[in-house]
Amino acid sequence: MLDALDKKLLKTVADLESLPKGAYNIRKNGKLLGRQVSANIAIDTNADGTGIIVTIKPGTKDESVHIPVILSQAGLYDVVYNSFIIGDDAEVTIIAGCGIHCGSSETEGHAGIHDFHVGKKAKVTYVEKHFAMGEGKGRRVLNPTTKVFLAEGATAEMELTQISGVDEADRLNEAILGPDSLLLITERVLTEGKQIAISKNNIVLNGSGSRANMISRSVMKGDSKQIFHANLEARTKCFGHIECDAIIMDNGTNETMPALKALHPDAELTHEASIGKIANDQLTKLMSLGLTYDEAVNRIIQGFLK
Amino acid sequence: MLELKNLYFAATSGAEDNGVPRKIIEGLNYNFEKGKFYVITGPNGSGKTTLAKLIMGINPVSSGSIIFEGNDISKLSITDRAKAGIAYSFQHPARFKGITFRDLLSIATGRNDDKFFQETLSRVGICPLSFLDKEIDATLSGGEIKKIELATTIAVNPKLAIYDEPDTGIDLWTIGPMVSLLKKELTPQTTTIVVSHNRAFLDIADVIIILKKGQIAYKGNLEKALPLLTDLSICTYPNKCEGDKDAGCLR
Repeated sequence: MLDALDKKLLKTVADLESLPKGAYNIRKNGKLLGRQVSANIAIDTNADGTGIIVTIKPGTKDESVHIPVILSQAGLYDVVYNSFIIGDDAEVTIIAGCGIHCGSSETEGHAGIHDFHVGKKAKVTYVEKHFAMGEGKGRRVLNPTTKVFLAEGATAEMELTQISGVDEADRLNEAILGPDSLLLITERVLTEGKQIAISKNNIVLNGSGSRANMISRSVMKGDSKQIFHANLEARTKCFGHIECDAIIMDNGTNETMPALKALHPDAELTHEASIGKIANDQLTKLMSLGLTYDEAVNRIIQGFLK
Repeated sequence: MLELKNLYFAATSGAEDNGVPRKIIEGLNYNFEKGKFYVITGPNGSGKTTLAKLIMGINPVSSGSIIFEGNDISKLSITDRAKAGIAYSFQHPARFKGITFRDLLSIATGRNDDKFFQETLSRVGICPLSFLDKEIDATLSGGEIKKIELATTIAVNPKLAIYDEPDTGIDLWTIGPMVSLLKKELTPQTTTIVVSHNRAFLDIADVIIILKKGQIAYKGNLEKALPLLTDLSICTYPNKCEGDKDAGCLR
């Protein structure tokens, strides 16, 4: 049921060689390709048939759900609405990702609208990879939206990666944090050629003792462009940090706008941002260990996006 | 094994020099012998680090030549000099994001096995095993990153090891072991050049070279060097000195 192309896309976005163990839901060209549930993880199509609802039983430990999406149909723009309900005290890893193969001159795209309801003291690790390939001239578009609601003591760790080949990306991440909850977001985006990637992040620290740390790493090759907005809003005693670094190669451009809003006297918010070429002392150091200039550049970028 | 022939280096000029290139190394001639321990010292601004960087290829030679094991390396890239067996330990090592000590060791030595790394660390002695997976980033202390820098240089078993101010940021308790380590690593196959003001390194040097205004003011043993060094230490910026009120003279 998986052809060679499907397998390549799945391998890249979800590290899957074949169908995964445990729960999964694979979507291909807007339709369900395969689904499996487990004793603790239920996957149901939502009421209007526009996506799925993944429900994790309270107390579930060390389980994972794969929900990759693959696209290879010319001209298709697939929009999907997925909800994740993670029960109290559960610990789960969700591996999402979208791989596009574009073989024609028509635009292909995917918009995954995801919302996460993370229960008390539950912990979710969300890994999402975006990748596109193919010889077609059509644009490959990915516009994901992620909304996270953290209950008291909940933790969400999100790794969002756009590897290569995506022409246009307009991402929106939103989060509302309850008391003593923790949100960690790491976003890595590599653009090249004429690609454009926009990332907007709105994080509201609503509960006392909540903490948020957003790390963004961007690399712009060719004539590509990236725009990064991060807004941290503190409504209570809390801690928030934004760290955004961008490396410009060739003629890439970058706009980075971290914003901090403290609406409470005990809010503690910090940010650090940098945009620039690869530092000379880093290149010199690696060349003094025997790497060529090009090898040193690749090694630095590889580490930066690791 | 390393010969400097009529070596000159002038830095690209800034506005303060009115467009005239600033001469930093002025006609050095010297022959470093295999298996010896050299310490290059001298006042601030005398050209010590510049000379070390000329040997590694980080600074381009303006004129003259550098002969390493019989080959003129003056035009070789940093990469090719590293491959020829020269290793360089920076005074202020670069910091990275996402590159660990293990990565650096693996890049430097081409090996990636834990056993080799453990042996290397126990040989170097100043880096605990827990350092291996530390990122070489801004969270490392000045001393930690210098220890890592030193260990990386030693791990490649270079023919020529250059250490620029290896004791910068190192605590007093580590300097003794570090000096012994560099001495221990000195084999008949290695030549060591240390740029330093630290007496601990001067004490163990086979040859001390004092640079002053880009030229060799002295070469020889410590005993005869000491009176000169005492003189030089009084004021390191004789031309810029503006008296006690201005700390800019950096006594």
